[in-house]
Amino acid sequence: MLGKTKLRRARIGALAATAALVLAACGGGGGDNSGVQTGQAFAECDSNVNACNSAAADQLQDGGDVTFAIEKNIPNWNVTSSEGNVFETGMVTKGILPYTFYTTPNLEPTLNTDFMESAEITSTNPQTVVYKINPKAVWSDGTPISADDFIYNWKVQNGRDCPDCAPASTGGYDVVDSVVGSDNGKTVTVTFSSPFTDWKVLWSSTGAMYPAHLAAQHGDQNTPAGLAESYKWFGETLPTWTGGPWKIDNFQNNVSITMVPNPSWWGAKPKLSRVIFRIITDASQEPTALQNNEVQVIYPQPQVDLVNQVRNIPNVSSYIGLGLTWEHYDFNLKNPALANKALRQALYTAVDVQGVINKTVGQFTDKVKPLMNHNFVPGQEGYKDVISSTGQGTGDINKAKQILTNAGYKLQGEQLIDPNGAPVPTLRMRYTVGNQIRQNECELFQQAASQLGVKVDIIPTDDLGDTTSNGDFDIIVFAWVNSPYPYSGAIQLWNSQSESNYGKYVNPEVDNLIAQANGETDQTKAADLLNQANQIMADDAYVLPLYQKPTFIAAYDNIANIRNNSTLDGPVYNMQDWGIRKG
Amino acid sequence: MLAFALRRLLVSVPILIVSTFVVFVMVSLSANPLSNLIARNPPPPPQTIAAERHRLHLDQPLMERYWNWITGIFRGDFGPSVNSTTDIGSEVISRFGVTFRLIFLAMVIALILAIVVGAVSAVKQYSKLDYTATFFGFLFLSMPSFWLAVLLKQAGISINTSVGDQVFYTIGASSIYVQGGFWAHLTDVLGHMILPTISLALISYASWSRFQRASMLEVLNSDYVRLARAKGLSRGVVMRRHALRNALIPLTTVTALDLASIISGAVVTEKVFQWQGAGTFLLDAIAQSDVYAVEAWLLISATFVILFNLVADLLYGVLDPRIRHA
Repeated sequence: MLGKTKLRRARIGALAATAALVLAACGGGGGDNSGVQTGQAFAECDSNVNACNSAAADQLQDGGDVTFAIEKNIPNWNVTSSEGNVFETGMVTKGILPYTFYTTPNLEPTLNTDFMESAEITSTNPQTVVYKINPKAVWSDGTPISADDFIYNWKVQNGRDCPDCAPASTGGYDVVDSVVGSDNGKTVTVTFSSPFTDWKVLWSSTGAMYPAHLAAQHGDQNTPAGLAESYKWFGETLPTWTGGPWKIDNFQNNVSITMVPNPSWWGAKPKLSRVIFRIITDASQEPTALQNNEVQVIYPQPQVDLVNQVRNIPNVSSYIGLGLTWEHYDFNLKNPALANKALRQALYTAVDVQGVINKTVGQFTDKVKPLMNHNFVPGQEGYKDVISSTGQGTGDINKAKQILTNAGYKLQGEQLIDPNGAPVPTLRMRYTVGNQIRQNECELFQQAASQLGVKVDIIPTDDLGDTTSNGDFDIIVFAWVNSPYPYSGAIQLWNSQSESNYGKYVNPEVDNLIAQANGETDQTKAADLLNQANQIMADDAYVLPLYQKPTFIAAYDNIANIRNNSTLDGPVYNMQDWGIRKG
Repeated sequence: MLAFALRRLLVSVPILIVSTFVVFVMVSLSANPLSNLIARNPPPPPQTIAAERHRLHLDQPLMERYWNWITGIFRGDFGPSVNSTTDIGSEVISRFGVTFRLIFLAMVIALILAIVVGAVSAVKQYSKLDYTATFFGFLFLSMPSFWLAVLLKQAGISINTSVGDQVFYTIGASSIYVQGGFWAHLTDVLGHMILPTISLALISYASWSRFQRASMLEVLNSDYVRLARAKGLSRGVVMRRHALRNALIPLTTVTALDLASIISGAVVTEKVFQWQGAGTFLLDAIAQSDVYAVEAWLLISATFVILFNLVADLLYGVLDPRIRHA
């Protein structure tokens, strides 16, 4: 009887709910565009990128939860490993790992003063850096953070001491000759075998430190096998330890990660009781979750619909920033037709980069401008326009035709004929399937090329990694993440021998200049050398930068001290400062 | 009946094996499980990629990989995932648990609604009620499930706003933290279940109710129903004992056959409502070219479809004694 009553109630309830929902759906809500943007939290962020939306600690309430949407689960907790080196894992572990430098929203590497007292070059021959660790810095079990931690994290990432460790990168650690502790381990002296301009990237927030004393419990630290065992253990094991302002309190696989303040933290205590990272793998669902207050902060890739949807949510502020990730066209120089520089120059000249921006990301922001450098972005020290002088990206069809004519090309009807009298073959252009913005970018390139008599077939790929590494393209559009440490990045992307030089660009002069830049400890000279290399590369018309990809943050107005950070540190770079405004 | 069930199960085994083989070959040839690793920025050192290739058995011939996988299943080993810390076996089973919670409730609601509305529509053919049911039936049939789910979300948020309380939720199967005791937790779970369940149920309800209506109409116009009425049996008895019972047989077939499409409908519902079920497991596996994970998904879902069809066959016997004794 009880069962029947329940069933009847459930039936009635289901019918009532259906009717109510259908009526509510028909009544509007979804298509209502009358909402206004009420949030003003990020209003100052354009002029004061590092300190906008700030509030002093006494203006914040004690306690409170903030839920931040992330788009991937955390299957591997070792952010320095190749498998764990994912943006989301970096954000989630930011609050528990100690690190030397981090990147502020203005894209500058900055010393982490909670952890480090100082980090300075004390000698240039051989290059020597001395780190002084904050004496109060301890792991949550009371073990002091010390030179041992520097040594362990160097050994597992230098490619020599632990060949099976599979780190995300050995860059920089492989030119460290020795790491020596003194002063009870609170001073660390690092000596390099060759100069390394980007020394600040080492032990920094993009590859922060794991505790050596716990590693020692999971493998003999004097053997490669023992190091590999401990390195793997950090990947497989949910960190219950911490060396940062937060500790992980709860992890629900595929659902959420909860951080609570670390009771052993020696710095200013966080005001929030909890920061919950909620995993929402479909970005298009984030605005409704935000609107329904199931999450209070989202940080998705901006798309027109998504941005407009968020702008209509009351009491929510949103902000578009420009970061280190940049979109670009690449040629594959292995294609014999594209081996001719004049054709490459003409095609890039025919492309109107501003037009590309207007028809893609320009639909939701007017901030994005054509990017004029391959290694630096505007705002970074060293940024210099190396593109304008080449005329590339201007959409100047007449100039493009002139370049071709001067090089001996001829237009027969709608077909371009090369200097040897052969028709220029159809080129295959690739982009990641489902990415509407990149599809538009391909179509715009196709239109520009057709005006020069070059046919371009657009073929999407569902496997960007394979397509790039196998060189299965003639032209491709994708993005690179620039680093606040651009010198080692330049070797990786442009050096003739690099695996990541997917289009097989070879220029010994460029190799030489980049190598010099990478070994120059004077930053001004290093930037100048890199820009010299970049100018040659731009003239060679290998890669055409399009624009810095915009980032997008939206948060409820009552959350103070949260702001955009378009680097790999992300908005969580100052998570310990977040709080709920009083009142 | 037992012999029949066993025979059906045995016939299903080669079908399962062939389907896993076809999918294994197709996925293996069309996708590279290392591609996400290679596409990392910065790219991992070559020795890392080589180690991963070995761990994922990509250095073995395709047939050997398949053989090792299929024999490994008998030991409970579903093969290595591209995420080295993920145990495919336990992960896929827990994900199917989540999905079946969603599917079961949605199917029950859809079936009850479909049977009631279909039967009433047939009995009151061309009435206002029939026209209304027909209108909503076609409305839900023509709506893409993704769109319906998004509309339901917006409706839920509108209701939350108007009542000033969190009644409906748009993501997940439950809140991370709930204040209060048992009832608070139950309310929270129900608040998370309502929208996705309705979303999934309405899609199936739409076609099933049309099917039930047609089936019922056919039975109502049959000779034996007319005979039963002519013998003086009451309308209610004829409806329950003769008409509805017989009209349920075709619906049983359709429901069983629809299981596969409901599971795929659940993929969309799970994605929109961020339930971490089998659907999102499959999407993630495909996105990461996680061949063994795709295979595990296929094996389990195919097994369920086969079992469900078997149950449907057995139900025929319950509904129609002629089949039971045949």
